[in-house]
Amino acid sequence: MGFSDFHGNHDVVQRLREMLAHERLPQAVILAGPSGSGKYTLALMLAKAMNCLSTPTTDGLPDFCGKCSNCVRIAQSEDLDTRFAEAVEARENLRETDKKETRLFVQTHPDVLVIPPDPPQMMIKVDQVRRVIETIYYRPGDAKERVYIFTDSAFVKEAANSLLKVLEEPPEFATIFLLADNPGELLPTIRSRSMTVTLAALPAEAIEQYLAKHRPDWNPKQRALVARLSEGAVGRARSFDVAGYVAARAHALTILHTALRAADHSELFKITETYRAGAEGREKTEKLLRTLYSLLQDLMFLQSGTPELVRNVDIQPDLKKLAEAADFEWIAFAADRLAEVERGMRRNLLRSLSLDAFATALER
Amino acid sequence: MPVEAIASATGTTTMEITVSKAELLRELTATQGVVERKTTIPILSNYLFEAGGDKLSLTATDLDLSLRTSCNAKVKKEGACTIPARKLHDYVKLLPDADITIKLLENHWVSIRCGRSNTKMVGMARSNFPSLPAFPTAGVVKIPGQVLRSMIAKTGFAIASEESRYTLNGGLMVLKPESITMVATDGHRLSHVERPGEKFEGVSGEMKTLIPKKCMDELKSLLDSTDAEVIEFAKDESTLFFRIGQRLLTSRQLTGQFPNFEAVLPKDNNKSITLHGDELSQAISRVAQFADERSRAVRLKLEKGELKLSASSTETGESEDSLEIDYNGDALTIGFNAQYILDFLKAVGAGDVKLELKDAQSAGQLRPAEGEDYKYRYIVMPMRI
Repeated sequence: MGFSDFHGNHDVVQRLREMLAHERLPQAVILAGPSGSGKYTLALMLAKAMNCLSTPTTDGLPDFCGKCSNCVRIAQSEDLDTRFAEAVEARENLRETDKKETRLFVQTHPDVLVIPPDPPQMMIKVDQVRRVIETIYYRPGDAKERVYIFTDSAFVKEAANSLLKVLEEPPEFATIFLLADNPGELLPTIRSRSMTVTLAALPAEAIEQYLAKHRPDWNPKQRALVARLSEGAVGRARSFDVAGYVAARAHALTILHTALRAADHSELFKITETYRAGAEGREKTEKLLRTLYSLLQDLMFLQSGTPELVRNVDIQPDLKKLAEAADFEWIAFAADRLAEVERGMRRNLLRSLSLDAFATALER
Repeated sequence: MPVEAIASATGTTTMEITVSKAELLRELTATQGVVERKTTIPILSNYLFEAGGDKLSLTATDLDLSLRTSCNAKVKKEGACTIPARKLHDYVKLLPDADITIKLLENHWVSIRCGRSNTKMVGMARSNFPSLPAFPTAGVVKIPGQVLRSMIAKTGFAIASEESRYTLNGGLMVLKPESITMVATDGHRLSHVERPGEKFEGVSGEMKTLIPKKCMDELKSLLDSTDAEVIEFAKDESTLFFRIGQRLLTSRQLTGQFPNFEAVLPKDNNKSITLHGDELSQAISRVAQFADERSRAVRLKLEKGELKLSASSTETGESEDSLEIDYNGDALTIGFNAQYILDFLKAVGAGDVKLELKDAQSAGQLRPAEGEDYKYRYIVMPMRI
């Protein structure tokens, strides 16, 4: 237990802990980084370190024990998806009149409040910020520091504006973390009031090592693939759906094969037929489109003579053959057409037909 | 046995008690103000029940404020459990007037039996319930309940509800060895009440405490429903404690400095008139119907022998009322927010009030004409009209 469990971005973590040690951690911190990079995990770790009752140190810097009552209770927020689902369910069970005015919060420790985006719009709403403002001036009870964690950067406009004052002058015992995939989404006035800490993407090798430890159920080939596909985010790598991806990729490859080799169309139609209407079909289609993009990107890498950047390492020979048949114009054209399919999906075009049209248009 | 002693004596995973419905319901109702209705956080919507000795102690909390109370119970097995607050209150209300047996089952299920009714509800782990601060052993001050209640009634309405001015979101209580003072303000008006001639043991010098609005409201409703004559007050670094009979209200403290209110208390308001409270209140209510809806401004015109009240707005028209007064000084015209004056008149009750002014730019002061046991003054900033 402790900061050593945080994988990657060692320098960033080190710097934050040094600030903690000197009590110089700013009271408004934007933690930026791609989804799955560990922003939430790090925010909770810092909350624990601020409030840990046994205040251990490692390498001369503050750490947390993970066993004291503060650590344990804060740790209950770690599984955000479950806590979030519980809160949504709790709201569903309220009286009709109360439902509308109730906002979602996750609070497993009295002094640590997690503010997730409120469904169905999935944005942080003004009532949520108001609750922060109402409670932040109360002195902490069980802890030393009150910690507020906004888990998303999508704010309703009024909510973002009402946060400004408290962000500028929080009481001396409160710290606010704003987690953002893209800090540019936050108001410039919020950014100027906070310190931004960016969690960088990890190199594929580091993620491979991490996966070797945490996902021994995958074979090395799968781990290499996931490490390259997770775009440097540990969280995303750990929960990567390999089987789903491989299935989607098989379909994507068939579509590209049909286009480049003008093979028999029956196989293509058999595949596209499975992309039906409804929510399930949409998810499946989105996955396929993303996979197609990534394959096109890999083809581009092979074309441009940078095979070391190819992500789908396990099927490199296959990709090479495809790349030989394609040229730059064709890849660019395919990417354009793919964007068109994507736009079509948003207008609810028939999925199977759009995919058929896409594949046949690429034939040469 | 004080309630917190029961709490510490327990901590096991069994519990079985029998309690009379009337007593349980009385305590459940008393704590309803603290239970949050619109929340999805489990710890906020549960009661903590702790049984020990011959008492059942109940705790409700919204994390900033918590209320712990107790009632007599036949304790078969000591222990603790948590129960969903809203549902329990709604259910117990409907039960016949008889004994209720509450028993903790496995996996945080709680069974509630009464006569031929049988119900099961699921709570959560006891350990998830926030730990409650212990009542300090030293520095406890005894305050007469009715004095505090009356002082809250006289000042509570002036507390700011604007969330941005957080240091005004509470009332300031100042304890001195021989007096107690309470002040509240929202920046436009200030209510100040002092009760001299009390004896507060254990207070030396000046003891200033900012009481959050939520806590004041809860305290008032507890004082309304108690027959305890004296309440006990104490505080530590982060928490305020009020013990009212068998109930213990705790509130976390607000941070921040209450503004230096002494500086705004007017000292040389030399134009003084005495008015009948009811008459003034009626006249202002009438005139205010025609005041600007946003500013609620009414004009007070002070002349020899007469006070003219008027208001006008482009949409509704204009209105004037006049009151006979005993006044011989210079004429003066000043504007006030009607609501602010009505709030005071409502708090002061029947009887004459004194209005003291200086000029159109200075704050006006209102107070009851006859000095009661309380030194009560109310300062309102004027409006430009």
